[in-house]
Amino acid sequence: MAESILQAIFSGLALGSIYALVAVGFNITFNTTKTLNFGQGEFLVAGAFVAVSVLLLLAGKQMTDTLLPTEVTLTRYLLSLVGSMAVLALLGVLLYYTAVRPFVGQGGMAWVMSTIGFGIIIQNTALAIWGPSPLVMPSPLGNDVIRIGGAGVLPQEVLVLVASMAVLLTLDWVMRKTKIGKAVRAVAQNGNAATLMGINVGAIVVLAFVVSSALAGVAGLLIAPITTASVFMGLTLALKAFSSAIVGGLTSPRGCMLGGVLLGVIEALVGLWHAELREISIFILIIIVLVVRPQGLLGQRIVEKV
Amino acid sequence: MAGDRKHYLWLAIVAAVAAAVPLATDNDFYLRVLFLVGVNYIAAAGMNVLVGYTGQKSLGHAGLFAVGAYTVALLTARWGWNPWPAFVAAGVMAGIFGVVIALPALRVQGPALAMVTIGFGIVVEKIVSEWQDVFAGQQGIYGVLPLSLGGTMFSSKQWVWFVLLLGVALHIMLRLLLRGRFGRAFMAVNTAEVAAESVGISVYRFKVLAFVISAVTCGLAGALIAQQNQYINSDFITFNLSIFILLMVLFGGHSVYGPLLGAVVLTLLDAFLSRWPGVQHFTYGALLLFALYAMPDGLAGFVRQMARKWAPGLLPAETLPRQLAPWRPRGEDRAETMLLEAKGLFKAYGGVVPTNEVDIQIRAGHVHSLIGPNGAGKTTLLNILSGIVPPDRGSIRFNGRDVTGLPPYRIARAGLGRTFQNLKLFANMSVLDNVKLGLHAHIPTGFFGGLLGLGAKAERAARDEALQILDALDLRDKAQEIAGSLPYGLQRRLELARALATHPRLLLLDEPAAGLNPQETQELTQVILRIRDLGVTILLIEHHMDLVMAVSDHVIVLDYGQKIAEGAPAQVQNDPRVIAAYLGADDGTQDDEDQEEGGGHVQ
Repeated sequence: MAESILQAIFSGLALGSIYALVAVGFNITFNTTKTLNFGQGEFLVAGAFVAVSVLLLLAGKQMTDTLLPTEVTLTRYLLSLVGSMAVLALLGVLLYYTAVRPFVGQGGMAWVMSTIGFGIIIQNTALAIWGPSPLVMPSPLGNDVIRIGGAGVLPQEVLVLVASMAVLLTLDWVMRKTKIGKAVRAVAQNGNAATLMGINVGAIVVLAFVVSSALAGVAGLLIAPITTASVFMGLTLALKAFSSAIVGGLTSPRGCMLGGVLLGVIEALVGLWHAELREISIFILIIIVLVVRPQGLLGQRIVEKV
Repeated sequence: MAGDRKHYLWLAIVAAVAAAVPLATDNDFYLRVLFLVGVNYIAAAGMNVLVGYTGQKSLGHAGLFAVGAYTVALLTARWGWNPWPAFVAAGVMAGIFGVVIALPALRVQGPALAMVTIGFGIVVEKIVSEWQDVFAGQQGIYGVLPLSLGGTMFSSKQWVWFVLLLGVALHIMLRLLLRGRFGRAFMAVNTAEVAAESVGISVYRFKVLAFVISAVTCGLAGALIAQQNQYINSDFITFNLSIFILLMVLFGGHSVYGPLLGAVVLTLLDAFLSRWPGVQHFTYGALLLFALYAMPDGLAGFVRQMARKWAPGLLPAETLPRQLAPWRPRGEDRAETMLLEAKGLFKAYGGVVPTNEVDIQIRAGHVHSLIGPNGAGKTTLLNILSGIVPPDRGSIRFNGRDVTGLPPYRIARAGLGRTFQNLKLFANMSVLDNVKLGLHAHIPTGFFGGLLGLGAKAERAARDEALQILDALDLRDKAQEIAGSLPYGLQRRLELARALATHPRLLLLDEPAAGLNPQETQELTQVILRIRDLGVTILLIEHHMDLVMAVSDHVIVLDYGQKIAEGAPAQVQNDPRVIAAYLGADDGTQDDEDQEEGGGHVQ
């Protein structure tokens, strides 16, 4: 019993760090533009498929073939990471200019619809290229289970956890300590004032979408080996990532990280108990959080001035 | 009215044409498409109240569709209910679930609301697909009883006629409802929640009501689909369905006719593209992405714009009565009674204490002014009195009853009207509608009365009274303009008119002269005195001292959240503590002693 709980916690941490990556992506664009990409799940899927295609091309195969475990080396995996981040960054720019920029600052929520629309187009494009069958992506670290305290852990799960924590901590450091990070935070606080201080707000906003999309790409690449990744997995993942952001506080990057990890672990533990209650338990958790603390665990309450 | 007659004539023509189609063809595909247009319209019509009018975007209405469909399926196939009561039960059940989804959704706004509703849809989808014992998952429930007439099941043609009948009835009822006080209240909630509360509208109730209306129609649509197919399974309930329902409304546009346009166009498109599923979803994506870009107000907005340009005769303006008696507020006059009495009000935000143990008394029939330097806590005090900010401690008695901790809309209904420092008009509605919203609590029409069109007389009376109020404030000639397009000074006056329309016993004015030029300030002084003469008590926050001194009977001075002086204007003007608060005093000296050199520290 104790082992299976420990095991659930490990896989929950791995899954949770994926949620955290996507949630932080939501946070970055939300803070700078008060919008976020409702098609982020499809971006994540795109990240996974692009990565697999890069691996296949590196192995000298067709883009839509099947990968063999021996064809995935660490170098190739890293190259596929670069490839998928680059493609996703481009998608982020495209998303911003077609689906977000025309609607920013307008009342209403046109951007919710347009980003969903963008996501649907991406999904159907992926469907046209790669088809509806699930994706095979072997882990670069193999499938030999590591034993930690009696619990079996997949090497990929460790990789997911370590890699995403590294990305998130780096991002946190950049946001707090570097000039560009401070510029991003200034835009998040008050775009007009930031413009007056000589910050190129337009560029920062594009950067926010680039980073956010690239994070989704990383998440897709990392998660592909541990789930049966298909074109349709995006929505649920994005929904849970957003739930993490709500739980932790959409306006706080650290809150998003915390929320992601928390949700991952809770989901894994509930799944251990009753697999079919996983989705429902998360929804109930969100309702509780919204009732008790609508701004999230680490979020700031915005008081509207009357 | 002439416009009404024209509408019903057109409705009769369109309904007759639609009803004639089944007589002309036996093609099951055409009949099915027509049936689907009707069902989709029914879902979209309710959704329009939620999305178009109340401004709450929901991406989870497939869940409510499922509630209706599975209610009918379980009741008829498992428990042997008669299909008709089962159909009604589906609507009721969906309405109940509408409340379930509304309660968490009300806690959040914007993107979080959209996500919560997506979450609801996903949970329902998971339940019906994974809880096999009850909902039979993908295998589905067979033997759902269709609606029947005299023991024989509906034929394809009868189904078309039935949804047509239902759709027409729904259209008429919702149109009647949305043209009256309910429609205005939904739109008010959409544009400015705080202002809606200030005229006595419970934002909470109207949001829940909008959710329930949309839930009932989506539930009925689900029941119709299940009963016509005599089958339902979990494949019907997808995120794409939620998007489709929302898309019909957004694409159709913000109008009573929007859902109809959306349902017709998208259902036909859907039927046309159903041979190529890939292209079908791709089209939805493109529509979501570009439709709002090209037509921000949807198809209906686009048509309206075209009509305004090419055929303005199709959009007749309402003719308004010319001569009306001068306006008088209702309510008894009891001069010299204590209208409002607050004791020990205290509010702190962390270490900042904008309201610190303030006692305040307001006598009926007088003009009171609340002054003090910036940051003295004037607006916070006003917000506490009007219920927008609940005090940490202290009590408020208003008009003979305890109103401490009541929500703003109930305080407004008790007779407290207010305006806002930063204008909060219903900017995209007409001037007349803004004032009618002020009258909201005084129009007696109820929800079902509104649906059945029983409020026409009360509505006319409200319009006339609104015009009287506009007359009283010299805004009559602007009645049909859009509030947001008025010049700033007139917007301020309109807000005053709206507050007056609530028939307040006490009127709170938060810096009514802010941003006005000297001449407009002069006019405002006259307006305030005229309002006082109508018997309305006033509490005024203002920085223009000439205005304060000209109109006030009684002045209260706040500084750092505390009341430092009060009394007649002249008396307060010479109060050393007031002078010190405004102009600064030497450190260490008692305020009382340095009134002569109080100005020494001004830089």
